[in-house]
Amino acid sequence: MIKKSIWIYHLNTGGCNGCDIEIIDVLTPFHDAERLGVKLVGSPRHADVILLTGPITRQSMEKAINAITAAPDPKFIVAIGSCACGGGIWYDSYATVGGIEAFYKILRERGVKPPKVIYVPGCPPRPEAILHALAYFKGLASKKIKKRVFVEK
Amino acid sequence: MSRFTLLKKAKEIGVITERYPYKPTKVPEGFRGKPEIDPEKCIGCCACIAACPPNALTSLDENGYRVIRIFYGRCIFCGRCVDVCPEKAIRMTEEFELTADDHEELVQEVRLKLVRCSVCGRYYDTERHYRMILKEFEEAGLKVDPEVLRRCPEHRMGMSAEVIGLRRVRK
Ligand code: SF4
Ligand code: SF4
Ligand code: SF4
Repeated sequence: MIKKSIWIYHLNTGGCNGCDIEIIDVLTPFHDAERLGVKLVGSPRHADVILLTGPITRQSMEKAINAITAAPDPKFIVAIGSCACGGGIWYDSYATVGGIEAFYKILRERGVKPPKVIYVPGCPPRPEAILHALAYFKGLASKKIKKRVFVEK
Repeated sequence: MSRFTLLKKAKEIGVITERYPYKPTKVPEGFRGKPEIDPEKCIGCCACIAACPPNALTSLDENGYRVIRIFYGRCIFCGRCVDVCPEKAIRMTEEFELTADDHEELVQEVRLKLVRCSVCGRYYDTERHYRMILKEFEEAGLKVDPEVLRRCPEHRMGMSAEVIGLRRVRK
């Protein structure tokens, strides 16, 4: 999807820090995401991909929108963890927006074009699962999951 | 410590970085990956749905089918559904590479046929559960009128006195 090296920006929107620790793991010498050209940057203005963790609490929503709009196009979001993908254990809490789907609805209402999102479920996902998503961006790994429906005959 | 000590040490330890995206990796024992429903075993009892903390598992009765649906995007991989399933139909696999482009890809659905109440005609139970109860009665040596089980709980209520009466007589 992206030919050049990916620069990532890490955005926590109110998660429990489990996913954030796994992201840090990915950057350590053991998992070493820099092998794939991945570099952590300190500002969303430099980022190609935003690693978003957490269920997007109401407190963090405005800041998250600021960070996402600050990133230059073309940009992508990787929703890391069950919180970001579907709201997780707090999907119906009054204090959170409830995951990326609901967040994107708010973005659309405000006239912000939401970037394409890649989902990485897990609570937290293994570092390898995050590496798999980054490798998928580079075309090094293929998607392993698809919708399955069983209908009783 | 001279810098040669450090170089020597580095040579001794070698490369520790894993080769993951190029080579597969192993998961530790007892790792809880994606839970999977065995559609051949599931009877649609909804015990897992009641136990699931974030409601990643949901059920819906539509068009004569009970839809047991699991959404991995919300699953927290706690394994409670595995613990409560009476048929051992769910198991935690070792799959963790769940990268997806669309949240619809993160779904497993099991659609089981429902049976209608013979009085009011509404759907009230899955066919598999109905057959299972019938079999259990047989195995226990109890003769039960299949008509009793073909009724929804409300319409069964009127009959139960009769059934209990029959059992007493047989004894
Ligand atoms: S997905 Fe799980 S580990 Fe990650 S932030 Fe949410 S609760 Fe924490
Ligand atoms: S593992 Fe836990 S969260 Fe996932 S479906 Fe089972 S009960 Fe629900
Ligand atoms: S608890 Fe087991 S048998 Fe019951 S609905 Fe869930 S998967 Fe099916």
